[in-house]
Amino acid sequence: MLQYAAIVLLMLGLYGLLTQRNIIKIIISLNILEIGLNLFIVSVGFVDGGLAPIFTSVNNSSNLVFVDPLPQALVLTAIVIGVGTTALGLALAKNIYQKYGTFEIDEMGEE
Amino acid sequence: MSAILLIAIPLLAAFISILFKKASPYILLFVSFGSVIILGYLPLETITIGGFSAPYGINLVLDQYSLIALYVVDTLFFLIVAIACVKYKKISTVLLVALAGLNGILLTGDLFNLFVFIEVSGIAAYLITTTNKKPLATFNYLVAGTVGSSLYLLGLIILYAMFGTLNMADMSANIASSGLTIAVAFPFLLMFIGLGVEAKLLPFNSWAKGILAHSNKLTGPMIASVYAAAIGFVFGRLLTSVFVFSDKLGLILTIIVIATIVAGEAMAFASGKVREILLFSSIAQSGLVVLIFLQGFVGWGVFLIVANAAGKLILFMIANHASDELGTDEVKAFKGLFVNNKVIGLAFTVASLSAIGLPMFLGFVVKMNILGDLFATGDYLIPAVILITSIVEGIYFVRLLMKLWYKEDNLPVVQYEFVLKYVVVVLAVLIMLFGVYSAPVETTANDIDANTIVEGGNL
Repeated sequence: MLQYAAIVLLMLGLYGLLTQRNIIKIIISLNILEIGLNLFIVSVGFVDGGLAPIFTSVNNSSNLVFVDPLPQALVLTAIVIGVGTTALGLALAKNIYQKYGTFEIDEMGEE
Repeated sequence: MSAILLIAIPLLAAFISILFKKASPYILLFVSFGSVIILGYLPLETITIGGFSAPYGINLVLDQYSLIALYVVDTLFFLIVAIACVKYKKISTVLLVALAGLNGILLTGDLFNLFVFIEVSGIAAYLITTTNKKPLATFNYLVAGTVGSSLYLLGLIILYAMFGTLNMADMSANIASSGLTIAVAFPFLLMFIGLGVEAKLLPFNSWAKGILAHSNKLTGPMIASVYAAAIGFVFGRLLTSVFVFSDKLGLILTIIVIATIVAGEAMAFASGKVREILLFSSIAQSGLVVLIFLQGFVGWGVFLIVANAAGKLILFMIANHASDELGTDEVKAFKGLFVNNKVIGLAFTVASLSAIGLPMFLGFVVKMNILGDLFATGDYLIPAVILITSIVEGIYFVRLLMKLWYKEDNLPVVQYEFVLKYVVVVLAVLIMLFGVYSAPVETTANDIDANTIVEGGNL
């Protein structure tokens, strides 16, 4: 179920990237795409009825069912990278606004 | 000494260069020179990071393949920095991060780690291209690059769900033993598209025109030569050691790549601007690199990258310096450029003739051997494509050279500084030297074919 939600978000992001001509909306679409992707990564590690993958005094047997911790680690990295890209994109958006006075790509008069 | 230093030192230096802003260009020069020197002292080995052995932890693979890749990328990086670091002082820190990312791309033996390094060097590349003063083009590059690497990550995660590993060697062994070559096709295509964005392959290269057609002395050589070489080496690693396709999927990829080559050469032929000619030609060349790796020729693929990277560095360096000075890059404005700059002109001529593949230059040795190998496998379509596009390449490069050497009354005045002259001449001499004395190149290429494998590396 989670995977379907993730794929819907991915497609939504791609649709936004292909149709929107506003710099800010493109950045938002990019973020939606990344969130969908992150959700997909987490869903890969999900095990039905699994515990959080931490050994504690209560959960201290290796026979217990844990969810896969690796995708969670991967998604942390992916989130950080996504934030970095978004910040850079917004900085560029500011530069573009200073140069052209608009966020609409069609109004900039450049290819 | 360990290969981790190649990633750790530039990153540390990047932090230090923020503290000492005034010294940052010199830190950059020193570190980029040091990373070329340090390569001579590294043993060929697989390095385990964090004490988790190969399939569970991340490992760095330093075999002959990645050593040559590191030599090429780091040397060219240093040469570009030596020419451009004084003019672009502000982004010294970014260039240090880029160096760390590029070294990581070439060294890593882990597919997710590769994604991280691609993003690190990618973000650095976006920042480097802001020196073009074309924020919209940089924004397009950022969007294309981010979508590309997201698709790469999506494919990678599907593969992880299928095989439970991220290690390249382990992945390749798992794919081979599972026999699931058809099921691997979809995630691999996603990864191929992701890398194809960076490698400027045909449907995904719309960003390249905005960046390279307005490039300056730093961005042109950096993106078209160093980054293109690094991503070419990644393709070599993945296509020849991890995902080997010889069936219909291989055919589809071959067609995509051939379309890239043909379209690139055709657009270069039709263009009337110097930088556009060079950029479309470099699109075609990166297509050719991927094509060679798809056919499984590792050794000659490596030298094709070397020849292209060195040649493109010379061409972009000379053309971008001239267009910075003249304020335009129309071929008309460049007419007679080399009449007063004979040395520069000779270097440009050597690089472009080598790109065409004329005898006496490195490009000829590489293309000749690739064609020989292809004919030996009984394939005639791909050699035909390579030969025809070489002829087209020959026509537009010779046409360009004729105009640049042509004597006229109003000669453009462009002064080239000493460092730039020195670098391009040395590279041009090397291209000629290995074009004539080709024995060491052939030995090394066969050597790479024979052993790109170290223990725990690629299977």
